[in-house]
Amino acid sequence: MTKLAAFLAVALCAPLSRAQSPDLEGVYQSIPDGMTLPGGRKNAGSPAAIQLLPAAAEQAKAIDLKQDPWKMCQPVGPFRMMAKEQTKIELVPVSAKIVMLFEDLSHGMQRTIYLKRGHPAKLEPNWLGDSVGRWEGDTLVVDTIGFNDQTWLNEEGAQHSDALHLVERIRPVLGGQYLEYKIAAEDPKTLAKPYSYTRYYKKVDGEVMDDPCQDE
Amino acid sequence: MFVVLLVLGIGSDLAQAQSASETHPDWTGYYTLAGRADLASAGLKQDAPGEELNNLIIPHLQPWAKARMEATDGIADDTGQVCLPDGIFRYPSMAGRFLWLQERGRIVMVFDNINTAGVRRIYLDAPHPKNPVPSWNGHSIGRWEGDTLLVDTVGFNDKSWLFGGMEPHTEEAHLMERVRRPGNGAFMEISITVEDREALTSAYSYKRYYKKQPDSAEMAEDVCNEDPATWKQYRDKALKRQMDRARQVK
Repeated sequence: MTKLAAFLAVALCAPLSRAQSPDLEGVYQSIPDGMTLPGGRKNAGSPAAIQLLPAAAEQAKAIDLKQDPWKMCQPVGPFRMMAKEQTKIELVPVSAKIVMLFEDLSHGMQRTIYLKRGHPAKLEPNWLGDSVGRWEGDTLVVDTIGFNDQTWLNEEGAQHSDALHLVERIRPVLGGQYLEYKIAAEDPKTLAKPYSYTRYYKKVDGEVMDDPCQDE
Repeated sequence: MFVVLLVLGIGSDLAQAQSASETHPDWTGYYTLAGRADLASAGLKQDAPGEELNNLIIPHLQPWAKARMEATDGIADDTGQVCLPDGIFRYPSMAGRFLWLQERGRIVMVFDNINTAGVRRIYLDAPHPKNPVPSWNGHSIGRWEGDTLLVDTVGFNDKSWLFGGMEPHTEEAHLMERVRRPGNGAFMEISITVEDREALTSAYSYKRYYKKQPDSAEMAEDVCNEDPATWKQYRDKALKRQMDRARQVK
């Protein structure tokens, strides 16, 4: 009887524990600002609304907006990229990671979210940072640090420092037809206070067409 | 009784999932172009490695294509010089590093140099669209034949080159690949055949081997736009050398 109970526990619990982590595989596109989904869900906040420390605000005022990484076909970083209307992403979960691809590949590039490791002790700063993820129930929590100082936080020229820290919370809602995407940014060297915004991404059919920057 | 049925139901789901994964090998991982020493130990070698691929391709060019190749100022006309796409004919054969990600119904190849090589999506057991929109990487479909994946790609634009010698192709380019993993899974072998009735007199074929990296290995970020001037300088030098040599090929 004990063996049967143990067998049933294994047989029943394995699928249940898997079920706690939803399969996010698919292609998603951000919904337009102003659109309201059932339950009153709608996009909220924007990178334009961040509050900068005085020195960072001065720096942004002085910057040449023609040097915007967006205009130079460079990566713009997750904080800016995920806020853009009509951003199309593809999530590819494989073994110990989730790869996030962007249709606008020049600006979005590709991000790999590692699920079974923490941040390395020594990080080589780069454009998209080092992302590690963990599941909290049905929510994928992604922690990213290790950015270089090449990307901007918004199109008004707001800079960030190498202390930029992003936390994204991603979960399926409305029966998996949408993703709720929340991102919080903190940077004690440039942001007066942490800032977060919310976007909803609709699961879409069809193929992702690479859209390199030169075609714009 | 309910519990037994429940267990049987779950068992059936698991069996179905296992059956699906057993049907096709899962090659998910990080691969890099295999070096000579690694391949020698397995009794394998690259066909026409590095710039030698120009020598293999050029004799297949139609006269107009050869003339265009010779008239092309690659330094000015090569989109990869300014961090724009090269198409998939060049980078994977010269220096390919990529993630091979298997999903349900498709395989995604993500190249480290995403600006120039982009992403390939291979749709499994699906037809090509009737009129694919011409693109840098074309439209790829695949099907398994035992432990070999057959990939067929059409729908290219005519903006890219077949290789660094500036060999042109047209929208008629047709890429056929047979992918398998010899060496007990240590390598990915891609047997490549390219035909283009508008630009080539006959098809050409060659093989490329990629080494499967350990699961702990991570593909590094590679942003060619990070320092566009240095990137262009590097490409100018490498490309000029390649074009000069390619023009000696009869």
